[in-house]
Order: sequence, then C-alpha cells, then structure tokens
Amino acid sequence: MCECECGCNCGEPLKLGQKVPDFTLKTYEPSKGDFGTFSLADQMARKRWTILFFYPADFTFV
Amino acid sequence: MGCDVVTVSTDTKHTHLAWREHEKDLHRVAYPMGSDGTGALSRMFGVYEDETGLAFRGTFIINPEGVLLGIEVNFDNVGRNIDELMRKFKASLYLSRKTSEACPSKWKDEGDKTLTPGAKLVGKVHEALND
Repeated sequence: MCECECGCNCGEPLKLGQKVPDFTLKTYEPSKGDFGTFSLADQMARKRWTILFFYPADFTFV
Repeated sequence: MGCDVVTVSTDTKHTHLAWREHEKDLHRVAYPMGSDGTGALSRMFGVYEDETGLAFRGTFIINPEGVLLGIEVNFDNVGRNIDELMRKFKASLYLSRKTSEACPSKWKDEGDKTLTPGAKLVGKVHEALND
C-alpha cells in the first residue's frame, strides 16, 4: 500500500484504472515555434483526453 | 476530438526543437514535445531503462478525469501503429459514453458492432458479432 497516500504507488509503475498523479513537462511547441509547459492538471481542467507517447530519443524512428 | 497528444523522451526541449527543424518527416508535426530529463515521468509509467537512461516506446491513454485507460509498450526496436492507437482512443472515448458496452477487436468507429457483456452473451459472442 502507498504510505504517502498521494496515489503515486510509491515507485511502482502505474497500472490500468489508476489515477495518474499530476505531472508537468517542459515542452517544445512546434505549432507556436516556442517553448512551453504541459500539465495533466491543465488537461483535466479543460476536460481533455491525453495521449502520452514515449520514445527513446530524438533523431530515431517512431 | 477532445484529445491532445504529447510526445516524451529524456532529451531536452532544445534537442526537440533541433530534431523537429532538421528532420523532414517531422515538418508537419504540431503536437508538443515534452522533455523528461530526469526520467521521473518515464519511471512513473514503467518505461524507463536504467542501463541507457532512455524510455521504451510506451503509449498511454489518460481520460479527462486523469485515469489511465490504455497501455502499450514496445521494446525500442519496434515501431507503433498509429491506426491501432486511434482505434483504441476512439473506443475509450465511445465507451466513456456507452458504459455498458464493449468494443470488440474489429470495432473501428462509431456505428460498428459492439458487445454488451452479461449473462445473455456467455457462449454467444459469435452470434452477437455475426447475426
């Protein structure tokens, strides 16, 4: 069980059906040609779905 | 569609900019490119590889309530199929409104045949999909 009760599962990777703890990422935003931030809290406030798409490194294939 | 894609790697936002500007295949890319320099987010989703400091090819669907509804993780040498990702996202979106239904493997879009799990469906999936 998670002792800190933050829902983070204390280091265990998230499982399906779990609430994702809030996170913020620094971003490059091609649509604006500028840097920005992305946060799950913003997405939830705007009632938007999120698809997180991880990949090993820039300059590699999809 | 009420959905935002954000890509994530352990590169910096500056490298993201350089890659986006130099790779011709990325010139139409409009989604934000996130930087997980510490690997904290990659670890949270179980896709961080300690040996390399890189993330595996993981895709995660999160609904507007912040609940994790989809996980797909490939090793770093297998690419992902965007059609299948969009199928899973559309199914999740549809099922958020039609909570008693289920989308079978051949479901592609609204209007396609769905299943309604329950006692009547037990042993009758073939009939339900083919009648």
